[in-house]
Amino acid sequence: MFGRSRSWVGGGHGKSSRNIHSLDHLKYLYHVLTKNTTVTEQNRNLLVETIRSITEILIWGDQNDSSVFDFFLEKNMFVFFLNILRQKSGRYVCVQLLQTLNILFENISHETSLYYLLSNNYVNSIIVHKFDFSDEEIMAYYISFLKTLSLKLNNHTVHFFYNEHTNDFALYTEAIKFFNHPESMVRIAVRTITLNVYKVDNQAMLHYIRDKTAVPYFSNLVWFIGSHVIELDNCVQTDEEHRNRGKLSDLVAEHLDHLHYLNDILIINCEFLNDVLTDHLLNRLFLPLYVHSLENPDKGGERPKISLPVSLYLLSQVFLIIHHAPLVNSLAEVILNGDLSETYTKPAQDAPRSSAKPSIRCFIKPTETLERSLEMNKHKGKKRMQKRPNYKNVGEEEDEERGSAEDAQEDAEKTKGTEGGSKSMKTSGEREEIEMVIMKLGKLSEVATAGASVQEQNTTDEEKSAATSSENAQWSRPFLDMVYHALDSPDDDYHALFVLCLLYAMSHNKGMDPEKLKRIQLPVPSEAEKTTYNHLLAERLIRIMNNAAQPDGRIRLATLELSCLLLKQQVLTSSGCVIKDVHLACLEGAREESVHLVRHFYKGEEIFLDMFEDEYRSMTIKPMNVEYLMMDASILLPPTGTPLTGIDFVKRLPCGDVEKTRREKFPEAEFLVQRAIRVFFMLRSLSLQLRGEPETQLPLTREEDLIKTDDVLDLNNSDLIACTVITKDGGMVQRFLAVDIYQMSLVEPDVSRLGWGVVKFAGLLQDMQVTGVEDDSRALNITIHKPASSPHSKPFPILQATFVFSDHIRCIIAKQRLAKGRIQARRMKMQRIAALLDLPIQPTTEVLGFGLCSTSSQHLPFRFYEQCRRGSSDPTVQRSVFASVDKVPGFAVAQCINQHSSPSLSSPSPPFASGSPGGSGSTSHCDSGGSSSAPSATQSPADAPTTPEQPQPHLDQSVIGNEVDVNSKPSKNSSARSSEGETMHLSPSLLPAQQPTISLLYEDTADTLSVESLTLVPPVDPHSLRALSGISQLPAMAAADSETPAEGAVSPEPAGPTEH
Amino acid sequence: MAYAYLFKYIIIGDTGVGKSCLLLQFTDKRFQPVHDLTMGVEFGARMITIDGKQIKLQIWDTAGQESFRSITRSYYRGAAGALLVYDITRRDTFNHLTTWLEDARQHSNSNMVIMLIGNKSDLESRREVKKEEGEAFAREHGLIFMETSAKTASNVEEAFINTAKEIYEKIQEGVFDINNEANGIKIGPQHAATNASHGGNQGGQQAGGGCC
Repeated sequence: MFGRSRSWVGGGHGKSSRNIHSLDHLKYLYHVLTKNTTVTEQNRNLLVETIRSITEILIWGDQNDSSVFDFFLEKNMFVFFLNILRQKSGRYVCVQLLQTLNILFENISHETSLYYLLSNNYVNSIIVHKFDFSDEEIMAYYISFLKTLSLKLNNHTVHFFYNEHTNDFALYTEAIKFFNHPESMVRIAVRTITLNVYKVDNQAMLHYIRDKTAVPYFSNLVWFIGSHVIELDNCVQTDEEHRNRGKLSDLVAEHLDHLHYLNDILIINCEFLNDVLTDHLLNRLFLPLYVHSLENPDKGGERPKISLPVSLYLLSQVFLIIHHAPLVNSLAEVILNGDLSETYTKPAQDAPRSSAKPSIRCFIKPTETLERSLEMNKHKGKKRMQKRPNYKNVGEEEDEERGSAEDAQEDAEKTKGTEGGSKSMKTSGEREEIEMVIMKLGKLSEVATAGASVQEQNTTDEEKSAATSSENAQWSRPFLDMVYHALDSPDDDYHALFVLCLLYAMSHNKGMDPEKLKRIQLPVPSEAEKTTYNHLLAERLIRIMNNAAQPDGRIRLATLELSCLLLKQQVLTSSGCVIKDVHLACLEGAREESVHLVRHFYKGEEIFLDMFEDEYRSMTIKPMNVEYLMMDASILLPPTGTPLTGIDFVKRLPCGDVEKTRREKFPEAEFLVQRAIRVFFMLRSLSLQLRGEPETQLPLTREEDLIKTDDVLDLNNSDLIACTVITKDGGMVQRFLAVDIYQMSLVEPDVSRLGWGVVKFAGLLQDMQVTGVEDDSRALNITIHKPASSPHSKPFPILQATFVFSDHIRCIIAKQRLAKGRIQARRMKMQRIAALLDLPIQPTTEVLGFGLCSTSSQHLPFRFYEQCRRGSSDPTVQRSVFASVDKVPGFAVAQCINQHSSPSLSSPSPPFASGSPGGSGSTSHCDSGGSSSAPSATQSPADAPTTPEQPQPHLDQSVIGNEVDVNSKPSKNSSARSSEGETMHLSPSLLPAQQPTISLLYEDTADTLSVESLTLVPPVDPHSLRALSGISQLPAMAAADSETPAEGAVSPEPAGPTEH
Repeated sequence: MAYAYLFKYIIIGDTGVGKSCLLLQFTDKRFQPVHDLTMGVEFGARMITIDGKQIKLQIWDTAGQESFRSITRSYYRGAAGALLVYDITRRDTFNHLTTWLEDARQHSNSNMVIMLIGNKSDLESRREVKKEEGEAFAREHGLIFMETSAKTASNVEEAFINTAKEIYEKIQEGVFDINNEANGIKIGPQHAATNASHGGNQGGQQAGGGCC
């Protein structure tokens, strides 16, 4: 920070400033100060300006002329400041002084200048000055001043602040008094100051910190954190319908802040400070409050407790954030083993001590305020000559003294084995006191024993058998049993998610001793060799996966993803997979279920493809970050299916009540599709990995298969259309347009080879949008969007240009080719998805003829291309005012009237069915009207097989083997189609809301578009749906399926108006 | 010193981009920027007026605290606005924006208004980052953008005030929960009625940290 802004001064020379910034001017200001030693109403402004100017000159002097500093010191000008301050001269002067000091210390770049300023102890006098801290501005300036000073601390400057002889360290002790200040910025500043202090490697100072301040500060801090935790728990308990989420998320963030702060202290790695802190955290917070809340809620009534989910959640956060080995190992030891009395090899620790001292492990309020403790300590320190530093004199019981001597001895031996404290042992003179610090670490065994005995009698049979099924589980592990038990909840995954996070966090914690985890057979991710794994856990994980793949599964995606992670972590080794066949078979069963789940939603709709690819993209781009997951307070509330709460979709459940959501116009249907797709991806990937097979089919578009800019292509057999490309910024180039399977490209001839071309641009046809140009029949507007890569970035156009062709015929040809290419590209991908889902690949005409027309045309008027193809042979077809061919989903562009004027062109030319874009009724009119042959086309294939095959989805569920697949090919077809039928009713709610997420929007048109498509695509009347739901033929199916009946009834309905 | 609202800002960005200078320049104009003197400050407050309402801005510079994760995290969370500053004469400071932004988005409340600032616009001859690049970055990430010079005071005022306006609008729209101080917004002590009259004299007589 020193002189960090100097570099850009640029060495210019001041003009009028010259005389202001000079020694002479300082002398003048000094004169002013001497004349105005008393602050009065009259000279206040003068004084303030004088002080301000002095600051300026001092900074200038620091940067330009050191004689300024000499003068400042010589005249002892700091005394004037102090003198003014002490006159209670009011906030105006106070704030000015504090600002001056801030600027002064912030901008001083020369060490020597700094020493000068600090040398007379005036700064300490200012620090201890009793400002009016009730004034928020003074408070803010004051704490900033301390923070600025703390940033200047180092091994040299610390002596100006810490006085060994008087045991004074005002900067630190004054700052920590504000550790629980209501203003968050003040608390943050206090934390910064403490960290800056701890960072200074000065033994004497650190000993002072530990002996005189650590216990008061840490015990108060721990109490402060604990109080927040209890408030947090209350917030969860009293929540109704997620109304507390705002407050809850603050409390969670606050807890995280605390943990990060504690971790920041711990990683400074000041060992004996860490020991005190670890002791307090374990014995006064984590164990008594968090871990003990894992036990049966009926037990231990009088102690403060938090609920099981909150405790699991907070413990996960602890393990995710804090990696300090002594702390995490002690904590994990209690959670995982509970009972330390046997098997464990750590020396001298297993003998349970009879003299359990509950006072030590309690979550209790410190008996006196931090301020008072600090006073007392200072006082005592002077009296008792530090012979026996009683850093623990706060909140101590008498028996502490009694036991401490023997504890100290025992612990001295113990410490040799532990990471913490061994170094501090060497500082011989201080031996005694250090031992006292460390001793608490050893007491964990008691905690564990106590916990275990309490738990023992209420361990259920199931838990017992669960415990024993693991091969080396001969001991009782009550907390662990609780943890496993929480994985079993049949109703939802509320607890399971936390348990998985906790296990994940423990196993990924860098400070964790791998041996600890091995004993519950939870290997750390990096472990190379493993031959066995925790069957108990694996089976539970697979059960979760299986559950998630059910249509009515009550498993959130986040839970599923974590299960997959943990399972992989258990069974995958560098040399292969050690999973047992039976487990793999179960897993395959779950995967198979997930295929059925997606198949159920598979349809010819464009939106399905976009969703499919979007989901894959966002899953690979943004893999789960457990730490981020555990930062989200919303998962603390019981999982909800209510979509309106705005909970991220990996963290919520499907909503059973489709009608409710429909009324609220939330895209629940979209969620169901996305969810199914995600489940499928996750289980597919897991299955492939466990079987050691590479993924060959996903993603559908692979970068390496695509034509890229600057590729040189042989275009001898390609159809090229010359055109002029006018980009948005006015650029104009001559190019040839070529259409490939998946892409369109703009090439220019290769000068070296005849018939070859260099690609200047290539873009995916599927993401392309082509529209005519209103007043130019030779031109097309073409936009290609790149799908959004992150939720914060918007999809942006990689091409946005007008293509001008030599005549309107070529223009039409180009348009057709692009449009056809787009359809083909999408169709190819849909077929590949079909292959992924083990669906029979249908001839393209069939897909188009039935799938797309019957479904998408129903409610997606802008996706009318195929329909038009057939419609064009139909004389009754109305010409549309909309004439654009290709629209991306959610993109109803309504004003390409120009196309209108060239109606007589070949069959694919798009006569749009609808006459008016408004009115909800007209949409269904136009759709069916656009294909007067459509009703028959739609229904003849669909109706006939549908009736007998309505129950097909049931069959689907039970289908397991492939042989059934083969046999049921036609029925599969129709089941796919029947689910397409559902889309018709899914789509209205799907569409308007789909817009923000769909990748192809661009901002300029977003507004009009959403209005547009809302009018074009009227939502299905909820009443008719509700009325129809009575005839559900698939009552067993979950939310999505409850829409199925509507298909049977609604789809023929438009046939009526069609004939109008 | 009555105010209707208090907005807390933070200033983030690489070291040396002129954050504390911007802050001082905005909060205390008595410190005239001159050629042979650069100075900054890590905290400042100032009263501004938006829509006839007195609004106090409290700005906290996070410089020097980057090494502590807990600190940056907490700062983000407690702020209603953030000025993300880079130096137009140093490409690397621009390249680091993504990281800063990720951090900010991760830790801040989702409503925090972020203003992107290309500082040192007076050093045109040494410019390494084009204005268009800054604009494009801002557009892509949904930020407000402005080039400033703490040196010539160009746009400094606007940068802070526009951010405040944006926050104010969000309050009007009900996006911010103003009763939750964790959002970096505080309602004034006597925000009942009396803000128009005596906040009016622009705080010139107010303490040094104020404006003048």
